[in-house]
Formats: sequence, C-alpha cells, structure tokens
Amino acid sequence: MTEQQAGLAGDIMENGVAMTVPPGFSIDRREGHTDEYFLNMGPQHPSTHGVLRLMLRMDGENVLEVVPHLGYIHRGLEKIGENQTYLQNIHLTDRLDYLSSHINNLALCLAIEKAMGIGVPERAEYIRVMVCELQRIQSHLLWWGVLGMDLGAITSFLYGFKERELITDIFEEMCGARLTMNFFRPGGSFADVPDTFIPRVRAVVERMKSAIDEYDTLLTNNVIMHLRTKGIGVLAAETALAHGCSGPVLRGSGVAFDVRRSDPYSIYDRFSFDIPVGTVGDCFDRYKVRMEEMRQSLRIIEEAAASFPGGPYRSKKYATYNLPAGSYYSQVETARGLLGVYIEADGGPKPYRIKYRSPSFANLSALNDLAAGHKLADLVPIIATLDVLIPDIDR
Amino acid sequence: MGMRHIGYATRTIPKFLEPLPGGAKTVDAIEFVVAWARANSLWPLIYGTACCAMEMMSTGSSRHDWARFGVEVARATPRQADLIVLAGTIVEKMGSRLVTLYEQMPGPKYVIAMGSCAISGGPFYYDSYSVIKGGDRLIPVDVYIPGCPPRPEALLYGIMQLQEKIRTEGRRNPWKIGTLNQTPFGDPLSEAKKVWADLEKSRTAPSPAISDADSGNIATDRPKPIKRPATEQFPEVARNPLSASRLDNETIFACILENFPETTLTRQSEHTVEQVRALGPEYLLDLTVPLHRYVEMVAFLKNSALLDMNFLLHVTAVDRLDRFEVLAHLLSADRGHNILVRCALDRQYPEIPSLSPLFAGAIWHEREVFDLFGIRFSNHPDLRRLFLEDNFPGHPLRKDFDDPSRVVRRPY
Repeated sequence: MTEQQAGLAGDIMENGVAMTVPPGFSIDRREGHTDEYFLNMGPQHPSTHGVLRLMLRMDGENVLEVVPHLGYIHRGLEKIGENQTYLQNIHLTDRLDYLSSHINNLALCLAIEKAMGIGVPERAEYIRVMVCELQRIQSHLLWWGVLGMDLGAITSFLYGFKERELITDIFEEMCGARLTMNFFRPGGSFADVPDTFIPRVRAVVERMKSAIDEYDTLLTNNVIMHLRTKGIGVLAAETALAHGCSGPVLRGSGVAFDVRRSDPYSIYDRFSFDIPVGTVGDCFDRYKVRMEEMRQSLRIIEEAAASFPGGPYRSKKYATYNLPAGSYYSQVETARGLLGVYIEADGGPKPYRIKYRSPSFANLSALNDLAAGHKLADLVPIIATLDVLIPDIDR
Repeated sequence: MGMRHIGYATRTIPKFLEPLPGGAKTVDAIEFVVAWARANSLWPLIYGTACCAMEMMSTGSSRHDWARFGVEVARATPRQADLIVLAGTIVEKMGSRLVTLYEQMPGPKYVIAMGSCAISGGPFYYDSYSVIKGGDRLIPVDVYIPGCPPRPEALLYGIMQLQEKIRTEGRRNPWKIGTLNQTPFGDPLSEAKKVWADLEKSRTAPSPAISDADSGNIATDRPKPIKRPATEQFPEVARNPLSASRLDNETIFACILENFPETTLTRQSEHTVEQVRALGPEYLLDLTVPLHRYVEMVAFLKNSALLDMNFLLHVTAVDRLDRFEVLAHLLSADRGHNILVRCALDRQYPEIPSLSPLFAGAIWHEREVFDLFGIRFSNHPDLRRLFLEDNFPGHPLRKDFDDPSRVVRRPY
C-alpha cells in the first residue's frame, strides 16, 4: 500500500468507516468515533519546495502527526558515482544541493586532497573561502525570497532574486555556469578568477549590506511575519542533536555547532566571524540565524578581499586521481548544514563506494517533532524555515 | 457545461460560415485572434523537481521576467494550467504522478522539456536504476530546451518557440492530444546498443569531405594542426597543518582499546596505538567491532565523557561481495573528531541491531540501508523502504544488482 487513501477496497471496515491507517504512523488502527482523518500533501505542492510528499494525520485543522515520504527525485547518485572517476564525480555533487554547488564541490575535493596528500596554494584557499561564502549568501537569498512567498508576500521573492542575480553574475564570469558550477578541483580550481573578481565582489558586498537592512524593513519587522513564525515549530536542542540536525536549524535551537569553527577546513580558522544562535528554536529563530549568517558571510568576504594574495591558483595537476585503498571522509558547512562525503577507495580511479551525508536529510527527519500540534497552515513556514532541498535528501 | 458549448460552437460555426461568400476569411480571422490570445496567455504549472526549477524561478523573477511574454500566471494546480515545464529529473516514482498531472490539465495543453534530464535523463542516463530517460517517454513534448540547466534566456526562447507553434494552430492544423506512454522503460539497453553501434559506424566510415578531396574534385588543404598553448605548470604545495584543538586519534583509540580490547583497525595488520600514530593525524579512525558488541560500542562512544560523540553523521553499508559491512559514523559536535565503527555481516541473511534507541536520526538512515542494500535492522520501529517503491525488484546498491529493463550500463 503506497498511496492508498483510507477507505479503498481491502480496508477493514467498521460501520462503514475505514479503520486502516497509511504506513508509517504511530497508531495501528483508526478509532471509528473520532474526527481524525488523513491528508496527503505533495509531491506536487507549491510549498513543499520540490517533490516532498507528506502524509498528515489531522484532527480538524490540527496536525497530529506527519509522515514524510521520500524518493520522488531519488536518482541513484551513489550508484552512478561508483562507475565514474573521482573527477567526474565532482559534477554530480553539483546536483545534490544545487544552491550550494560550490560548497558541495569543495567537500569532494577536500576528501580527494586528504587521501592523496595534495596541498592547496594560498590564492586558491582565498578563492575557495570567498566563493563559498558568496554561495551561502546566494542560497539564503533564495530561501528568504521563497519564505516570503510561502507566507503570501510575493514582493520578497522579487527582491531576493534581484540581489541573487548579481552574485550569479560573478559566478558566471568566473566559471561560465550560473547554478551547477563544477569549479573546484583537487588542489585549487580549474581556472583562475578574472581580474574583475575582487572589484565586483566589493561592489556586491556594499550592495548587500544595505539590501539586508532593506529586507529587515520588508519582512523581519513585519507583524504578519512575527505572528506566523514566533512560537511556531519549536525544536528543542536535544531533539535536534538526536536527529543529527545541523546548520541554521541546529543553531536556531541554540547549539553553536558550525563545521567552519569546530573542524575548520580550508582557511576558515584565519577569519573572524560569529556563529549566530537562537534562543527558543522556533521558526523566527531559524529565520534570524540565517539573516545574521548573511551578515557574517559578508564579514568573511570583506576580510578575504582585503588580503587577497597573488600566486598560483592551483597546485600540481595529476593525470589520474587514484586514491590509495582506505576510507576517507571530509565535511563542510553548506548553506543547509553539515555535508559529509565518505569515500571507500580500492586503489583504482573510481570509488568503491561513495556516500553523501546530506544536511537536509537529517533536518527533515525532525519534521514530526516540529509540526505535531500545530495548524495545517503553520506547516508551510515550518518547512520553509527548515529550508530542505529535496534532491539533497533523495540523492 | 459552458466549455462544452464553446467546443460545440468552434466545431459547428465554421461549417456554417465557410460556404458563405467571404466566410472562410472570417473564420481565419477568428482563428488568428484565438491562437494569438492563447499563445500570449500561457499559464504554466508550478512543477519543478530539481536544479532546472531554480532557473525557471529565475526566469519568472525580477531580471528575466517571463511576464513580458504572457507567461505570468503560474498555477499550483494542473486544472488551471495549460503549460507544464518539465524542470528537472523525472524518476520512476514521480513518473506516474507526472502522467496524472498531465491528464488533469484541460486541453489544449503544452509541454516544454527543460534541460537534459527532461530530454533524455541527462547526466543520470547511464547506471541509474530510477531515472526515466526522458519526459517524452511519459507525455508528449512540444519543445525541447537543451542545457544543464538551460539559462533563463534559453527558457524564454523555448517559450517563444512554443508560441510560434501555437500561432499556427487552427482548423487546418488542429491541436491534438499526444500519445501517453505509461510504461516508460521499454528496453533502454537495446536502444542504447543501437545508438552506440550507429555511432561506431559513423566513426569508422570515411567522412565525405575527405573522400572528395582524395578524388581530386575539390581543392582543399588539410587542416593545419591547432597550436595548443604551453601547458601551465603548477607547483607542488605542502598541506596546511590541522588545527590543534582536536582530540588526536591516539588518545581516542587508547580509550576505546581499554574498554573494547577486541576492536581492530580496518585494513591494518597491527591494531595498536603506535600503528594509529604512524598513520598520521589525518587518518580517519576506522574501527571494526564484532557484531555482538556493535550497539554497546556506539553507546559507549556516545556516553563517554572523554569522547562525547553525541552526533550521528550517518549509517551506511558497503557491499564486499562476500560480506556486508555496516558503518556507523559518529562525530563529536563540541570537539570535532569523528570515528567510523564498522561491523561485518553475513551476506545471506544480513541483520544487525538498530541504533534508533540511541539516536532518533538513525531511523531514516537505517531505512535507507534497508532499501538500497536489503540489510535488516532488528528492533527498528518502522522498517520500510525509504526511496524506492515497495515493489521495486532487488536492492540497487548491492554490487550484483542488475536490471536490464531499468539500467543502461556505461559503455566506456
């Protein structure tokens, strides 16, 4: 029984009421005399951010239980990856979490570098940090725009995309792609950044500073926004940790866990930035954390642009990347949280097993704890502030 | 009711008008206006599965603004839409839902396949067991837009091409509903073999330009070899030292050996602290434990005051052909170190205790392993498939998985 609604043929009937419960719920059997019913949401739904399907157990307008159903965009990336070389795998990571594609590329490159002992020149490290932080801002801008649209304010969608296009322009000039970059390589990147990179980045940073203040006047201080998000979807810190939540979702619950700080990769340990945390763990806290993260990313970019070094943009190229037999793991902080790449190498040019530990997967698994007890309409801001990306979950 | 009357009118009015003097021209004029109006007020369905949906959103937003072309009123329900842009990969589980969406749209309705996934499966054509190799295997497609993903300008151009097509529609070239193909898989293997055979043939056959030149009919110079720029030289660079705040591998392994003396290092001949030190600071501590101490070990790592590994990264498995290995990967959120705990399983009847009493997040990870490897987890609260349909044959991440009706093997 995959998508059967209660009441179809084959259900156990009592007084004309179907007793059967769709799979995954905590109850085995429906009680005949209650008003409980089951509601299907998705996979074709404008507010589930892709093809997420939720089965809801409802009592009137109150959500009692949520059961997510996955796999509507499961493409088998890990199986495909086993038959591609390590370098060919980089372009597949673009398509995991396509709003953090630079950061995903970096995660795989870090694992290859670790396995082969490849060092990275100074300039390449600066490029990495700046590009990844630009990507984080770009991702948060899209999230901000779509969050407003989910709450019924289409203006924020247009405003968010306005600044996002400027960052996309920088990426396009740098690597020719707007979304699926495939830019980083083990030891650096496939090309140097153009001369216009630093001036353009400086211009975007200046623009973004005033833009974020503008966003605050548009949405952050909006009374409807407060009513729709404050006290909604509270996630306790212990629950978040037990589910393996990371990124702004975990930080919104008050845990200051950030891979850039706890296990610094690239040269993040050289920059000063704060880790914003929430206090309550509700939707508004997660919102505030992401807004503050954009400001912190701007700080990092500014600092890096001020001391951007010259020199080579990558280290020695290898004809083939044959990882010695063993297991390798690298982790980065994407816009959504902790992305881990685990590689089981057998000494050949292709991975024996490659596993992506995606942040959205763990973040979404806590959904039932967040949404149970709230109204159906509150489910929309809850999903929006979890900022899940379904291809990242399904892989 | 009203719609039926309009359909009746569009069929019968031309019949009466055409025999009259000047009637055909009048009908032409009416048809022109109708087609013009229809082409310039496309209502797209909000349908996006993957990356292309982001470019579709960009097309709809501030800079590119598809409202300039009349494609403005994006609808969330197929019953109000007449255009579906296939933005993103279509997988088997979504395929039947896509057909339902298409069937729910009122005609005349149009389909744009945006990006290589919707055209042919794109980067996921080979080796994927779930991707449908092209949207036109399910529903009829009017316009194809190549790209991965296509730029917003490309989508705008595709929309303009569709509008061109709609403007030609009338009683001489009526809109027809295309064929729906409910069995998307067919036999991709033999299709792929045919394509590759054709490609090989075209490679070995002499190209016509050269044969003409050899026969002396056309005076052509052989193309000069392209001068490649000198390859750039890149220096070898030493790796940056790790940050010092991390707990080092030797301390962790010594602590574990004290409590679990049977723990071994995977793929190493010696299982001592000295060996861990020799492997260097970047070595991922990869431990093998016997099955009966697996849960105990993970519980120890979680509760130990020194190690404090309160964060489950993932649970996954590796198929070793003669055995399965289940891996639990733990992280200390506060101190940054991570450990891999590995446990070998019988390949015939693989079963292992669940970690869900320790970490709530393990429930989904273990469901994924059950789905893709077929490993059972005892006392798991909800052991169902996570990604694939219940009736999917086999477990695709096993090395011996083969399903020629779904998978096209990479021929190179």
